[in-house]
Amino acid sequence: MSEQPILNNTPVENPEPEIRLDDEKRVRVLSPGLLIWRRFVRNKLAIAGLIILASMFIFSFIGGLISPYKQQQVFRKTDTAMREYASAMINEDLRYIVKDGEKFSNIAAANFVLAKNNKRTTFDYAGTHYSFKAGAEDFYEIYSLTEIGSVLMLGKKPNFDLNEGETLTAEEETAIAEAVKTKTAAFELDGKQFVLRRDGKNNIISVTKPIAIGTTLIFDASDREGVPIVNNYEFIRGAGLAILENESDFTCGGQTYAIVETDDKTTVYRSGSEDEPFATISNLMIRATSPDVFLSTDFKNAFLDAAANGQRAFSLENADGEPVEYTITRTHNTYTIRTASLTELINMYAPPSRSHILGTDSNGMDILTRLMYGGRVSLVVGFVVVFIELIIGVIVGGISGYFGGIVDMLIMRFIDIFNAIPFYPIVFILGAIMDTMQIAPMQRIFILMIVIGLNGWTSIARIVRGQILSLREQDFMLATRATGIRTMRQIFVHLVPNVMPLLIVQATLSLGSIIIIEATLSYLGIGIKYPYASWGSIINAATNLHVMTNYWYMWFPAGILIFLTVLGFNFVGDGLRDAFDPKMK
Amino acid sequence: MAFWNKKQNGKKSLDPNYISAADSARIARENRKITTAYEKKRSRKNVPESEYLTKMRDPKNVVEFDDVHTYFYTDIGTVHAVDGVTFDIPASSTVGVVGESGCGKSVTALSLMQLVQRPQGQTVKGEIRVNLGDKAYDIVRTPTEAMTHIRGNEVSMIFQEPMTSLNPVFRVGAQIDEVIRMHNPEMNPDQVKARTLEMINLVGIANQEGVYGMYPHQLSGGMRQRIMIAIALACNPKVVIADEPTTALDVTIQAQILDLFRSLKSRINASIILITHDLGVVAEMADYVVVMYSSRIVEKGTAREIFHDPRHPYTIGLMKSKPILNKKVDKLYSIPGSVPSPIDMPNYCYFRDRCDKRFGRCNGAYPPQIQISDTHFVSCYQYAPENEK
Amino acid sequence: MNQQPLLEVKNLKKYYPLRSGFLNRVTGYVKAVDGISFSIPQGKTMGLVGESGCGKTTAGKTILRLEEKTDGAVLFEGREVYDIGKEEMRRLRPKLQIIFQDPYSSLSPRLPVGEIIGEAAREHKIVPSDEYDDYVTKIMLDCGLQEYHKLRYPHEFSGGQRQRICIARALALNPKFVVCDEPVSALDVSIQAQIINLLEELQSKFDLAYLFISHDLSVVQHISDAVGVMYLGSMVEYAPKDEIFAHPLHPYTEALFSAIPVPDPDYAMNRIILEGSIPSPANPPSGCKFHTRCAKAMPQCKEITPEMTEAAPGHFVSCHLFRA
Repeated sequence: MSEQPILNNTPVENPEPEIRLDDEKRVRVLSPGLLIWRRFVRNKLAIAGLIILASMFIFSFIGGLISPYKQQQVFRKTDTAMREYASAMINEDLRYIVKDGEKFSNIAAANFVLAKNNKRTTFDYAGTHYSFKAGAEDFYEIYSLTEIGSVLMLGKKPNFDLNEGETLTAEEETAIAEAVKTKTAAFELDGKQFVLRRDGKNNIISVTKPIAIGTTLIFDASDREGVPIVNNYEFIRGAGLAILENESDFTCGGQTYAIVETDDKTTVYRSGSEDEPFATISNLMIRATSPDVFLSTDFKNAFLDAAANGQRAFSLENADGEPVEYTITRTHNTYTIRTASLTELINMYAPPSRSHILGTDSNGMDILTRLMYGGRVSLVVGFVVVFIELIIGVIVGGISGYFGGIVDMLIMRFIDIFNAIPFYPIVFILGAIMDTMQIAPMQRIFILMIVIGLNGWTSIARIVRGQILSLREQDFMLATRATGIRTMRQIFVHLVPNVMPLLIVQATLSLGSIIIIEATLSYLGIGIKYPYASWGSIINAATNLHVMTNYWYMWFPAGILIFLTVLGFNFVGDGLRDAFDPKMK
Repeated sequence: MAFWNKKQNGKKSLDPNYISAADSARIARENRKITTAYEKKRSRKNVPESEYLTKMRDPKNVVEFDDVHTYFYTDIGTVHAVDGVTFDIPASSTVGVVGESGCGKSVTALSLMQLVQRPQGQTVKGEIRVNLGDKAYDIVRTPTEAMTHIRGNEVSMIFQEPMTSLNPVFRVGAQIDEVIRMHNPEMNPDQVKARTLEMINLVGIANQEGVYGMYPHQLSGGMRQRIMIAIALACNPKVVIADEPTTALDVTIQAQILDLFRSLKSRINASIILITHDLGVVAEMADYVVVMYSSRIVEKGTAREIFHDPRHPYTIGLMKSKPILNKKVDKLYSIPGSVPSPIDMPNYCYFRDRCDKRFGRCNGAYPPQIQISDTHFVSCYQYAPENEK
Repeated sequence: MNQQPLLEVKNLKKYYPLRSGFLNRVTGYVKAVDGISFSIPQGKTMGLVGESGCGKTTAGKTILRLEEKTDGAVLFEGREVYDIGKEEMRRLRPKLQIIFQDPYSSLSPRLPVGEIIGEAAREHKIVPSDEYDDYVTKIMLDCGLQEYHKLRYPHEFSGGQRQRICIARALALNPKFVVCDEPVSALDVSIQAQIINLLEELQSKFDLAYLFISHDLSVVQHISDAVGVMYLGSMVEYAPKDEIFAHPLHPYTEALFSAIPVPDPDYAMNRIILEGSIPSPANPPSGCKFHTRCAKAMPQCKEITPEMTEAAPGHFVSCHLFRA
């Protein structure tokens, strides 16, 4: 070897080249982060997944901010609907108008009806005697009786025994005696009414005092000012008696009223203004459905005309002079008058439109906005749960893997037992308990996160344990023992960082399944509750067959979002696994 | 091993030795463009044979590598894994390709099989001519369909790891059967089995029937390597590529396998391309030796020429740096420095910076191949006539 | 040579229990190391040769108490390593170091190189903390690394560089005894020479004792002062280097030596080809473990386990051919 023919004499020392070929600074390399990134981007699906996830995060966390609506904003709409405007019924019930300062209780009224039906003219209540006088058209004037004494007929001569303080004129005495003889129960003399009641041989003499009117007639004032006057006892009594006695006018409160009776109605005019009806008397009771609507006489007249003619609808000009259509429906003695009117409604199940791109749900909330806020909940739940799983999983798996032996055996068997606990039934029970205890919706979310987290940590623990078991046997761990590095440093400086990539991959992949679990629970109604939304609880609407078949936009977009997000997490997780895998080229 | 570390990203981004994100993206973009173009060309259907038909320079050769360039388009740049390699495989001879890891010896062999990892790896230039008797194919241009007939039939390969090259769920016999059946569809099952047993016998296993029914895990490493050899030889190939066939084996087992190779050499008429880093194995087995350094051939010649009269400083250094049994040296010779990473190579001798014989001319262009004898070539200015450029 | 060797191994045994069945009962043992004895003086190198599965790596780890021994004794500076308490053992660790075969798996992947090399030195307070940085730099330069490598991570280095890092990590602890477990077999030839030279340099500079484990006889011959040959957990031959290479006695040693390919195409080979493969250490042959592959096997080899005998001064062999 030593005798080589060297053509060019002696080697010349050569200036050191500026950079040697084997200098590792000559070729630039990828930084560790960039290396992972390049491996990651080589996977097209991982990129797709990353884009999906980025859009989901923007949609959920930024979308909520730029959405013009709030999460729980309920939308209403106004609509013309045939709405009940007024009702009318033929009044068959007696109503009682009591004179000011007098009392006429309901029980007394009942006794009155009883007496009326039994064709008696007197009745008692609470030690007071009452009598009444029947008029036409169920117009009764009710009196209370005051005993003034008694009369005993001795032969033909009446023998009066008057109560203290009471006197009778001679005329009255004659009239009473006459009445006793003819067995008249009541008579009137000079506007004073007397009632006789037999008590053995005695006839008890009472004088009457009008206290109330019982009538089925309805007195309607033509305008608002007239209402208190018309419903006054004096007015009704005056009008009623006038009708009874076929008088054409009566006086009440210093005012004279004229009564004009036609075929089907009675109208009261105030004297001096004969062309303007003051009130109407009929047995039809017309009431506006809304208390703030006052029914004009014109309306009533128009209705009465229509009702009398058996018409189903009538038209009337309103205050602005526009014709308004009214419809009449009759059930038994009740007429219902409906008219088209503007009404405010909750805007439920609105189809997609410009203002609600995905429509509204059964609560009248904007679905797109709900989806944004629901995404927040779904994603945040996912992250929190993964965090819980990681913490428990790393601690338990780390202990199990590092110490091995009996500790490992016990922990692994515990995990086996834990995994055998049926998750869904427990969650169903928990959901029922939370419903009963009426846990606040926000607290429900927290409880849900903890429960899902407790369900999932075992798989993380197993993976961490496996990884640590294999790392523990690697030469570099043996080297840490050989160099006498303390156990804690071995674990936390040398072991744990090497588990991180695996954990990141595992966490990403679990995020997908957690979102599915959360959606499942919410779909089944034991997860997120109103007013909060999650994608799962939005799909919950599809449990209603009617919604599922008719309003696709209520549940389909949420389904798509869940699908895409889970897909995105799985793609990214897969990509990360490849990127972290040193065997990948 | 995982390299992910947030903390280190921030700290190390100042290191000028890291490729910037923009550069990295640009490299990835360019690589994609280039490789898709090659892949498109490769995956064409019904390529006429005339396109890859070629003529052997010397009909006595079974394989001729002619200026082969195989590049890998990686994230840190284009790796010139094989950069203008020219050598011949004469019929029924053993050619040893020697070099350190990363010198491109395996990629050269994989280029011949068209097994370079695609799409990153592409043979971009040169011809690899394979003599098929009546005609010759240029492997570089041969489409994938035609390649399946050549692989296994004409060229077959023995890998380094006998543990992982056999499918663990199939019986050994079935795996040999499969290869024979695939390339000889006219044979009936009995003939196939007979051929398999013959092959098992050929590689020195006495208990053919027993081994035929065994699973790979029931065999030792040496036995598995014998089975791999049986599979490689099953279809009477013209060329067998043995890529580090004994590196994973123990010394005594290596001795058995080398012994087997030597006995097979006379019994089969295949040429062997023996790829190894072990000079002892090459010296024992090869007729011709090719020494590669950093993607290029630095020296080639017959085994005797290379071992008795090594010319290139690298070859000399390599031989001196290996301790030889019963040959005492106080201090081992060691080539300083390390093998350069074959990216962005400059145009001067790649070994210059590690060479203890470098002189003025070494700063010139990469040295041309200088002929020492009929068969002995070396790429070094020491042997170039003064006036030659 | 000192009167007392730095490290003395006496009849060291390491058995791994084989468990099976439902109750995990011990049904047998893999005798990975089955009674080996040797001693290494300060500043010398003992080579341990053998094929895969012969227990040489396990022997190295058991000597360092990285695996618990089954039987025997390991005396370091005259003290039984296995009698030392846990905390004291931790403090003794720096004196006993190891370099692994695979430079890729023996470095914590997520620590910068400076930290890998220096952390244990800092833990053990090998140097005062204000000199720590300079100390690490010095060790790195000693091992052929550059100062700017400190902040880099292991994956940025080639195999040879990593092996230098491993050596630096061991050296930083100021050891007296280093187990080199196939430190060069994963490296390229030209790098192997660099690492071997580095190990030799460091040995003379720091007066280190090596246990050099390798399957490569030529490397062992180059670096060792004494060589032990192992087969299936037992030491079959143990002698000073020159003696054993000049006169290998055990048939296995002979076969092993002849199996090494020589880089000379005209070398006249008279190779002893061993038939078959190495038996499983879980189920070793009876008597002499080598008798199944031995060309010189006699009937008694099957039954009687040969004793270690001193066939020549300092040359021990366990073979029935050389019974005293």
